[in-house]
Amino acid sequence: MGTSSGAATSVEETRKDMGNNGDRPLIVTEDLWKTYEMGSEQIHALHGLTFKIERNEYVAIMGPSGSGKSTLMNVIGCLDTPTKGKYYINNRLVSELSDDELAFIRNKEIGFVFQTFNLLARATALHNVELPLIYNGTPAGPRLEQAKAALAKVDLADRMTHKPNELSGGQRQRVAIARALVNNPSIILADEPTGNLDTATGVDIMNLFERLWEQGNTIVLVTHEHDIAAHANRIIHIRDGRIEKDEKVR
Amino acid sequence: MNINLKESATIALNALNAHKMRSVLTLVGVIIGVTTVIAVVSIVQGLDSYVKNQVLQFGSDTFTVQKFPNFVTSFEEFLEYNKRRDLTLEDMKAIEERCSLCKAVAGIWDRSRTVKFGMQSIEDVDIRGVSVNAPFMGQVMELASGRHFTETDIDHVALRVIIGADVAEKLFYGRDPLGLELKIDGVPFEIIGVAKKTGSFFGQSMDNFARIPITMYQRMYGSHESLFINVQAPNEAQLPQAMDEVRVIMRARQHTPYKKDDGFALETAASFIDLWQSFSQGIFAVTISIASIALIVGGVVIMNIMLVSVRERTREIGIRKAIGARRRDILVQFLIEAVTLAGAGGLLGALLGIAIALIISKVSPLPAVIRWWSILMGIGMAASVGLFFGIYPASRAAKLDPIVALRFE
Ligand SMILES: Nc1ncnc2c1ncn2[C@@H]1O[C@H](COP(=O)(O)OP(=O)(O)O)[C@@H](O)[C@H]1O
Ligand SMILES: [Mg+2]
Repeated sequence: MGTSSGAATSVEETRKDMGNNGDRPLIVTEDLWKTYEMGSEQIHALHGLTFKIERNEYVAIMGPSGSGKSTLMNVIGCLDTPTKGKYYINNRLVSELSDDELAFIRNKEIGFVFQTFNLLARATALHNVELPLIYNGTPAGPRLEQAKAALAKVDLADRMTHKPNELSGGQRQRVAIARALVNNPSIILADEPTGNLDTATGVDIMNLFERLWEQGNTIVLVTHEHDIAAHANRIIHIRDGRIEKDEKVR
Repeated sequence: MNINLKESATIALNALNAHKMRSVLTLVGVIIGVTTVIAVVSIVQGLDSYVKNQVLQFGSDTFTVQKFPNFVTSFEEFLEYNKRRDLTLEDMKAIEERCSLCKAVAGIWDRSRTVKFGMQSIEDVDIRGVSVNAPFMGQVMELASGRHFTETDIDHVALRVIIGADVAEKLFYGRDPLGLELKIDGVPFEIIGVAKKTGSFFGQSMDNFARIPITMYQRMYGSHESLFINVQAPNEAQLPQAMDEVRVIMRARQHTPYKKDDGFALETAASFIDLWQSFSQGIFAVTISIASIALIVGGVVIMNIMLVSVRERTREIGIRKAIGARRRDILVQFLIEAVTLAGAGGLLGALLGIAIALIISKVSPLPAVIRWWSILMGIGMAASVGLFFGIYPASRAAKLDPIVALRFE
């Protein structure tokens, strides 16, 4: 299959660029806007956001419901595109990237953890975790090894063949975290990861994030609970799509 | 590039497996299309080798002279041919005497009559009045026991008969019929030969006959019917010249004016095969148009089901995109799914078509030849339909925006 060598080359370039920018901030945004047209009304979900996130930071994004947290996470995660403004990840301007390059970044650089888990219902835990590796062409042997290792990291080595409906909420979220980890991404994005879990399970998941951070991962986590935000070393408060407060803690 | 085909196929097969009933219903059109093609191909192939086999037995150095051609395609044609003069023993003799390139000439008359042995009788036996050369030309008749007619038998209008294997079986049950007496229309004949079994042609037994000297036939039944004349050339290469000679002789005998058509039909095995082939091509053309309609309808159904599937799995597509699936990964996944779905229908259709061909060949005189490549052909045909009609739904899936797909409920 050598039909689109052009795209393949630019993905290679993306990979290289990302490799030699260790000293630049991982994430840089400049005057980020996201505007929704609701009939005649304009809703600014993001209202000119500018900030940086360094490697191995643990950032909590806090704010009331509807303040734009999810919108921001989706933009950072390259799932959504800003209406205006610049967003650099690993010094690459995201708006300049092709569709394939965006897919590559979502695959290799970003591990997304959703509030509703977003696992494939018909696939086993193992297959769910393997999926990102399938899409970057990891051969079957190493793929299986890496997926098993990721499941072991979230203490689910004994649940590999279970399907999501055979797992508890906490276990499902841990499968999702294993899936986010499996490619060793530059950044883990978690949008209210404990929102659908009971308090005790939520604490477990937060401990897991804490551990991942200690192992050197960069984590951005959305929450509206202070207890949970207290795990982070930096809290960005958002209101009406604007940064209200950006504070270092710990 | 690293589209994982095997992975996509597995994903597709799992998805198919999860909706078995729907998959089968979806495939009805494709199955009908492929079944039709495979069944017809099997039957026509069967007929083809059968016809060629039978016709080639006739001998490539031999041709026939008849009043009517082998195939009359309309009633008007029939009326036209019917006006022709009957062929007679004199015609046969004239060809024998005057045609230098005719190695051998034979004449045959026939009609259905009842034959009797003692109290036993069989109806509808093909009574053939034959000349000496008849058993050795065209459809060759070999003997199981006894002897052929000699010139003397013919000249002396002998009351002698050579019977077919069916007649021998039905009347004599394993007893040796040689020397026994067979009555044809009450006239007693001495049995001097029994023919080897030749089998059936389109369900019609070819062993249900009794051959008597052509002179005897003429005495019993007269010569009010046209004679069937077989002519053998020295070899295949000289067949056309021999035919030309016979044509000239016959036209002279029938006083056919210059520029008017022959008042008789000259035909070879090859001309019969040509006719059959144009006929079988007609069958194929009709089949293909019927099957294409079924396949197109089947394709449209597959397209709709795939569109439903894409819609139902919007969230799944969103998840896949969120973790790094590119457009072409999604495109290939759904294309493979459509191809696998249709291909499975093709396999089913091919097997069904073969089964139908086999059943037809069992319950009817039509033969069938099963070619194993026809299974591949069926799968291939269906898979191409799946590929073509899968393109639209698959590209719809591939183009989905990840965030829109993820939000889909
Ligand atoms: N697809 C959309 N269309 C229109 N408005 C939207 C859409 N997505 C989000 N919004 C609006 O943008 C604002 C921010 O939403 P969101 O980012 O989901 O907030 P949060 O995650 O902080 O609760 C809200 O006012 C919301 O209604
Ligand atoms: Mg939200």
